[in-house]
Amino acid sequence: MMSLPKTPEELVSMDTASWQLLLQDPNQWQNIPLLNHTPLHKLKDQTLVRFRGMVQDMMDQEIYLERYGVKSADGIMRLQQGKYRDCLNLDKDEQVDYDNVVHGERRTLFVVSVPGLNDWAKQHEHKCNVQEDEPMVSNSHGVKRVLQEESSEEQMEVDSHKRQCLESPQQLELAKSNATTLAASYLLNSPLPERPSMACMVKVYENFDNFSLNSLLDFVGFLSVHPALDAALLEADTAENLTELAAQHPSPLLIPRLHAFGVQPLPHANPLLDRSLQQPSVPATLPAMASLHKDLRMLLKLCLFDDELAADYLICHLISTVYSRSELQSIGKCALNLCNLPKSRVEGYARQLSELLALLLPASHYLPMSLDTLNTAAFAPKKDYETSKLVSGLLQLAPHTHLILDETCLQQGKLEASGVQAVQHLANLINHQQLKCDFQYYHIDYNVDIPVLIFSEGRSMLPSDFVLPLNADSKAIEIHAESMQAAQHYLQPERLQQLRSYLTLARTASYNVSDALTEQIQQDFVQMRQANAKSNADDLHGLLVLSRLLGIARGQVELDKNTWDMAMKFEAQRRQRLQALPKSQVSN
Amino acid sequence: MSRRDYAQDRESIKTFLTEYCKCDDDGKKEFVYGSQLVKLAHREQVLITIDLDHLADFNESLAEAVTENCRRYASIFSDVIAELLPSYKQHEVHAKDALDVYIEHRLMMDARTRNPLEQRDERNAFPPELMKRFEVGFKPQSTEKASSIREVKAQHIGKLVTVRGIVTRCTEVKPMMVVATYTCDRCGSETYQPINSLSFNPVSECPSDDCRVNKAGGRLYLQTRGSKFVKFQELKMQEHSDQVPVGHIPRTMTVLCRGEVTRMAQPGDHVLVSGIFLPMVRTGFAQMMQGLLSETFVQANRIICINKNDDITDKEAELTPAELEELAQDDFYERLATSLAPEIYGHLDVKKALLLLLVGGVDKRPDGMKIRGNINICLMGDPGVAKSQLLGYISRLALRSQYTTGRGSSGVGLTAAVMKDPLTGEMILEGGALVLADQGVCCIDEFDKMADNDRTAIHEVMEQQTISIAKAGIMTTLNARVSILAAANPAFGRYNPRRTVEQNIQLPAALLSRFDLLWLIQDKPDRDNDLRLAKHITYVHSHSKQPPSRVKSLDMNLMRRYINLCKRKNPTIPDELTDYIVGAYVELRREARNQKDMTFTSARNLLGILRLSTALARLRLSDRVEKDDVAEALRLLEMSKDSLNQIHEHQKGHVPNTSDRIFAIVRELAGSGKAVKVADIMDRCTTKGFKPDQVDKCIDDYEELNVWQINMGRTKITFI
Repeated sequence: MMSLPKTPEELVSMDTASWQLLLQDPNQWQNIPLLNHTPLHKLKDQTLVRFRGMVQDMMDQEIYLERYGVKSADGIMRLQQGKYRDCLNLDKDEQVDYDNVVHGERRTLFVVSVPGLNDWAKQHEHKCNVQEDEPMVSNSHGVKRVLQEESSEEQMEVDSHKRQCLESPQQLELAKSNATTLAASYLLNSPLPERPSMACMVKVYENFDNFSLNSLLDFVGFLSVHPALDAALLEADTAENLTELAAQHPSPLLIPRLHAFGVQPLPHANPLLDRSLQQPSVPATLPAMASLHKDLRMLLKLCLFDDELAADYLICHLISTVYSRSELQSIGKCALNLCNLPKSRVEGYARQLSELLALLLPASHYLPMSLDTLNTAAFAPKKDYETSKLVSGLLQLAPHTHLILDETCLQQGKLEASGVQAVQHLANLINHQQLKCDFQYYHIDYNVDIPVLIFSEGRSMLPSDFVLPLNADSKAIEIHAESMQAAQHYLQPERLQQLRSYLTLARTASYNVSDALTEQIQQDFVQMRQANAKSNADDLHGLLVLSRLLGIARGQVELDKNTWDMAMKFEAQRRQRLQALPKSQVSN
Repeated sequence: MSRRDYAQDRESIKTFLTEYCKCDDDGKKEFVYGSQLVKLAHREQVLITIDLDHLADFNESLAEAVTENCRRYASIFSDVIAELLPSYKQHEVHAKDALDVYIEHRLMMDARTRNPLEQRDERNAFPPELMKRFEVGFKPQSTEKASSIREVKAQHIGKLVTVRGIVTRCTEVKPMMVVATYTCDRCGSETYQPINSLSFNPVSECPSDDCRVNKAGGRLYLQTRGSKFVKFQELKMQEHSDQVPVGHIPRTMTVLCRGEVTRMAQPGDHVLVSGIFLPMVRTGFAQMMQGLLSETFVQANRIICINKNDDITDKEAELTPAELEELAQDDFYERLATSLAPEIYGHLDVKKALLLLLVGGVDKRPDGMKIRGNINICLMGDPGVAKSQLLGYISRLALRSQYTTGRGSSGVGLTAAVMKDPLTGEMILEGGALVLADQGVCCIDEFDKMADNDRTAIHEVMEQQTISIAKAGIMTTLNARVSILAAANPAFGRYNPRRTVEQNIQLPAALLSRFDLLWLIQDKPDRDNDLRLAKHITYVHSHSKQPPSRVKSLDMNLMRRYINLCKRKNPTIPDELTDYIVGAYVELRREARNQKDMTFTSARNLLGILRLSTALARLRLSDRVEKDDVAEALRLLEMSKDSLNQIHEHQKGHVPNTSDRIFAIVRELAGSGKAVKVADIMDRCTTKGFKPDQVDKCIDDYEELNVWQINMGRTKITFI
């Protein structure tokens, strides 16, 4: 059987159609080491690797030498390929013949590993990674530990490389004084600074317009970690804007380069369901969706103080996705505000629940909305013209990364200008599923798909599609600690895997609405309007989204009357609870 | 392409420069370049710009060749000019700077000492770069479109390109060495080194014969006075937001400016740059990257700030004939209006008004008095009638806009307070930034929730179009030429038709009168409408796309460009319309007195009518306001009043049908007389929002009832 090329030369010499055919086979992908989970020192320059992540920034085009002539000292000419590599292929006495070059164009994408990827997903990906000549890292260590080891090893590598490539100590001094002060964290540019992602600069050679910001992609290509790529090793006074150069060419040991020839978009970040990953064990067949739904509902009910309605809404929220967009609306979003939390009686409830959800979701992020966070954290990405980098923000997340906002952490106090903006960014995200990036002279909106869950005491100050006051059972509050423990206990590894797969499958499921029922829905809406003039188009949108999600959660493929009625009933119950809430004096 | 014969091109360039002429208005021949050459020779001008349109006139293939291989031709041009200059010198030129004196001395010395037969070392000769005291630039052909940065690709290397963008960064202007002059410490001879790149390697060994033959090992020292420098500046430009495809990051490009093109732009300026796209040869780093990668830049020839110079319209922003045709259909006014927030059903008149707000009226400055042209609109209505959606759409459509909610903003501070409602535990945001977009639209949602003292700032903005700030002992007035689009909820939850507008919205009359149009949007349950809405929404959900509609709504980008085009027009109101407008206004006032009207009419309404009619004329891309424009403006005003009053009528239980209402108008028009002209009826009725066929129907209905008679030509009716 044929396999993918091992070096750039091999690739260029191969027939384009044949390697493209090979790339369509997921088995071919399985055997390529994942850069995300392999320490750099185990990989050689110019070898075939894979990197999975989110496009965080796109850099300007590069003009490079696609083909060039090389003249050796004795005047012999040869042609050399420059595609898929950073460095020239030259021997000591050889020189590039600039009269004999073909320029090519390529583009660099700044890709970070999925921000907010939960530990279980990381571990699973790690297990899927082919480990050559090395015993499997024992699971008890956990990924964090591995990452730490890696970074310290990397550090050593950097030093040794530096020594190798610099001939005299004098030059070393020079390089050091010249090394700019850009911190590694700035260069890595992780959207969530407390959960740093790994970064990789991916160079792509074709279909430049197919890549969009914040999308999840899986790249196959050749690694390039030649130490000469580091701008910090530059000789002095060569360039005016050294900071920009340093930012654009960071040390390849911190941020490796990858020359991609294969790309596939990732529909989700769940490694359990990815065919291009080599699963460590054959996954057991999943039980029916309906029964999984029952299990999950029971579990969530237990954690939500015995509130069944809340459990249903939460499941809907967990599997929601934006499935249609127009200029004004993003349809399918389901931002949920769980309010009326018994904050006085249960401490840190939102955090506990978000930890539980982190066990189920491939990617999620818990954000305590304290004044301090709002005022100081960077929310939306901002262009830094000093370094030509799009400095990331908290909200730059991959599609389907759940954002869990905890408003119970909010104190009274003063919101600075940046805080006001942060709230506006959040509101914009919830209302339009768009992220406003600041390019200083103008803003650009980028479409995102980030489900937002808000926990608050009263109704949240942020907008949401569904506000649901919790109806906490007082008995359940008392035994809350035990319930959470029971929930943890219930989540055995096998069941966890099932529920994780269930949520992802439900999210990506397709769904139909029959014409007959459409008629019924239309009639119901007209009646609803007559009964209550206050009801409007948004209510219908809400109902349709809810009925769809309720149906999908129960494993249906088409909307039926029962589910529609259920959605109507749930909405009525929710409305009732809302009315029972104390009315505010300030707002209406 | 076959290689061009450069020697031949050289000759034709020479002819072009000396002979190209244009006839001016008097039929006199004007030598465009000849006259410039004279100035160059006398050092009165530095930059000579070759218009490629002229060159194409003269020799088309040459102009093409220049675009293709710009750098080479720039040097040919400058060589030719250098050759020609001495013959254009008409009088002795005084030395302007030290370098002039220096060159003069060297030339004189050279003439005296030089043995004409002796071959000189090339490096000791005066390089042409040192002697040329002018610069050559090219103006691209006018057919050339400005491209966006992402359209400039590897194949454009060496070509003349024109790009549009926004300047994000620029360095200080620094001197850059073009020719380095060295003196030898042994033999005293001078060596010149022309420099073409950003960095250079200084020569240290003296190449003169004396030193070489004698092996004296003379050292060279750089001489600043004899070296030639030019001004140099590096710019970074970035694509403008409308050039960026969805989901992409704006591209940037480096622009190098030399000599006269420096100091043309500042960060934030929108610019058109024409120049040569070139790979950058950087020593040092390029070698580190082992030469595989080359950065690129544009060597600027010409920089134009678009925002400073409106005459230079950018080709890309202009509408193509196909687009114009699409717009020029009969119902374009309706189509443009329905294309505003197509997701929101109906409310056609509101949308029309919003369209006019986007286009804006014409500013007038009669005798120092300033009358604003911006149209302010206030939308009122019960919660949940898509007011916010309309506002959101407008703020996205307008080129410059600010969306804010009254509750979250204040005119004073830039900070906000988070407050906790003690009763409900809700967190509430108070105060915040009200940033106004000068020359734009300011959308204020929940206008009624705004603090009173902040609203006073809005007063000033709305009428004077300025904002005064008094902070930390500094008083200043800033321009705030904005249109205000406000949305307000009724004070008592729902709109109460029995009360006046002020009572309902709880806004002072002084503020309300500053709105040109007040609109009450109602959302009454209506079977057909609701069903239509439900159909639309279910379609969107079950098919995941917008339903195909009969009238295709226009693309947002096209709308934006069309509105921009409209804004360039400055229509005037012809004198013959004055009477009509005055008559209409007097009528409005009279009606307001007579009827128990819940709205009010003031002199501001008259200005409002003028604003709306000029905006309508702009929308037609016309330079003159027509009677129809005024009629439509009056109709919109009437409809907006109707929207406030109509519930009133419903409440009374008596709903007069259209014919009855038209009859009442005719009665009024007739007064004590018996005969009324149909044309007058039509005029009056259309200003009240009735359609001609409705009027016709009314005339027929009442004729049947024998109330009046109509003459044969249908020009006059007579009461019986």
